[in-house]
Amino acid sequence: MTTKGSESMSRDPKREIARRLIDSRRQERTGADTAARAAASACDHLYRELARWVGVDGCHALFTRALTLARVEHPALAQIQFHARSDPYVDGLAATTMAYGDAATAEALESMLVRLMELLGRLIGDDMATKLVGRSLATSEGGDTGTDGSREQA
Amino acid sequence: MKENERTQIRSLPSGVPGFDTVLGGGLPEFSFNLIAGGPGSGKTILAHQILFANATVERPALYFTVLGEPTLKMLRYQRQFSYFDPDLAGSAIQFVNLSAEVLDRNLDEIFKRIVSETERAKPGIVVVDSFRTIGGLPGSTARDASSDLDRFVQRLALHLTTWEATSFLLGEYAEEEQRNPVFTVADGIIWLSQATDRNSVVRKLQVIKTRGRAPMPGLHTFRITNDGLQVFPRIPEHKRLRHEQQRTRLSTGVPGLDEMIGGGVVAGDAVMLTGPAGSGKSTVATQFIAEGLRKGETAVIAVFEEYPEDYLARATARDSKIGAMIKGGKLELIYLRPLDLSVDEALAAILEAVQRLDATRIVIDSLSGFEVALAPTFREDFRESLYRLVGTLTATGVTVFMTAEVPEGFADARFTSEKVSFITDEIIVQRYVEIEGELLRVIAVIKVRGSDHSHEFRLYEITANGVVVGDPLKEYDGIITGVPILRAKQIRAKRSK
Repeated sequence: MTTKGSESMSRDPKREIARRLIDSRRQERTGADTAARAAASACDHLYRELARWVGVDGCHALFTRALTLARVEHPALAQIQFHARSDPYVDGLAATTMAYGDAATAEALESMLVRLMELLGRLIGDDMATKLVGRSLATSEGGDTGTDGSREQA
Repeated sequence: MKENERTQIRSLPSGVPGFDTVLGGGLPEFSFNLIAGGPGSGKTILAHQILFANATVERPALYFTVLGEPTLKMLRYQRQFSYFDPDLAGSAIQFVNLSAEVLDRNLDEIFKRIVSETERAKPGIVVVDSFRTIGGLPGSTARDASSDLDRFVQRLALHLTTWEATSFLLGEYAEEEQRNPVFTVADGIIWLSQATDRNSVVRKLQVIKTRGRAPMPGLHTFRITNDGLQVFPRIPEHKRLRHEQQRTRLSTGVPGLDEMIGGGVVAGDAVMLTGPAGSGKSTVATQFIAEGLRKGETAVIAVFEEYPEDYLARATARDSKIGAMIKGGKLELIYLRPLDLSVDEALAAILEAVQRLDATRIVIDSLSGFEVALAPTFREDFRESLYRLVGTLTATGVTVFMTAEVPEGFADARFTSEKVSFITDEIIVQRYVEIEGELLRVIAVIKVRGSDHSHEFRLYEITANGVVVGDPLKEYDGIITGVPILRAKQIRAKRSK
């Protein structure tokens, strides 16, 4: 992304973290060979990591609310669903990619991650929210492959 | 066994003001503890204070949340407290949620998860909140459940101690549940409670058991503020440290009164000034403080009846230096007026100020206001509590000047409240008398322990500069009744004029 709008957005630390989280999943070892698959893999990974802290139900509540918030700006998320305690956590990726394309799907999921961090920040403070998500980023960049191999092919 | 051959158990700070004293020096390292109490009693806050006082990145703390308060909400509320350091959360303090294991699996799975997380993080402190939820997991039969729980608690205690973790299980337990296996296995049991008496809530803490330590027995009051818990230990009365041989006299700053007392109040004594409303008790107390400040001493005033601004305005009107003395750190005004106060809490606040200023004079204005400020439950043993308060204060060497209001009853010649006079070394009384249709004020010294003093009733006036003691009422009898009668001799002398 090289547009002026994207550059200005990238100055937002939350978006920066979301983008890095997605980038960390866009590697051959995770099996995420497209931007949308990498973004979905980032969601799966963050869900697993956050659930360790706040519990599956608490984490699922956060993701569901963030998805609702992000849908306002990104109609591409209409068919995306999250299923607690299932692997992968993100469902509906193939249909969304088919309808909106890889880049738009990835951007929508990235926005959802930003909304999630904002929501978490409002609840426990931006500093702790950034730290929690930052830990997930660290484990992802550190080489946690997760279970993306099980995701349906987009 | 010699002292130096014993295995020394290191003490960890609890991070709770006053609590280490109750614990007998702190929390024994690697101990397995239970923090029990009803909902809202402060268990989670206490656990967090312990975590933030001890956790480091090198020896982190693991906080296992089970079913109960969701982690997100807990973090949201906990970070409102001043001890919560967001920089430590996530690194030095790691939260792990066990709800999935509790909902889906059995005690073995929970144990495995705790073991794996412990081995991963190598924590110095472990908290399980709430353990009650784990203990309540159903077994195939009640007997099986109890046996499984016994085994689980034993394994957990052994594992956590072996991993050199000091651990705390939090749970809502009732007193009759103390046969629960966790009570037997625990090295330490801390019980938090809150009782409502009329409209007041009083929080109390008890260290029921601490292996390897001698905790302070009894119930200790505590308060929860934005800084978390603060415990007010029941300080046992110390032996008086006052130098008996010195008997230094301190001027009251009231012209004429020192002479009546025998040269001023004895340093380190507990002095009580009683009188009806409007008799000038606070004025005398302010003069006593101002006199000390004039001589370079430091002082504390504990106010119970008025707002501090009002008290200060009135005191400053009489002595313009009072305000400057507060700013200069020579005088501290303590305002203690909640209606759920405990004597120990008041004592802690006063003692802290006395020690901070190295004060030589303290005024408690008034005991009547103090009694009202106490929670009803503490009013019942006011005498004993006050005895402890005065004993502890005078043990520091400070001279305690207390005021007490006594109802003015002309038919009742009571000078002091029988509740509190026994704790004092010196008693001064003020009262109204009617002479020739005019209401006048008289003052007398009732008691100065170990010293001679005036036995006269003297008139006094409240002037712009404070109380000034005047002449003795030698011509009258029955002053004690409030309606003195001019002696026959004096009547004759008057008539002959």
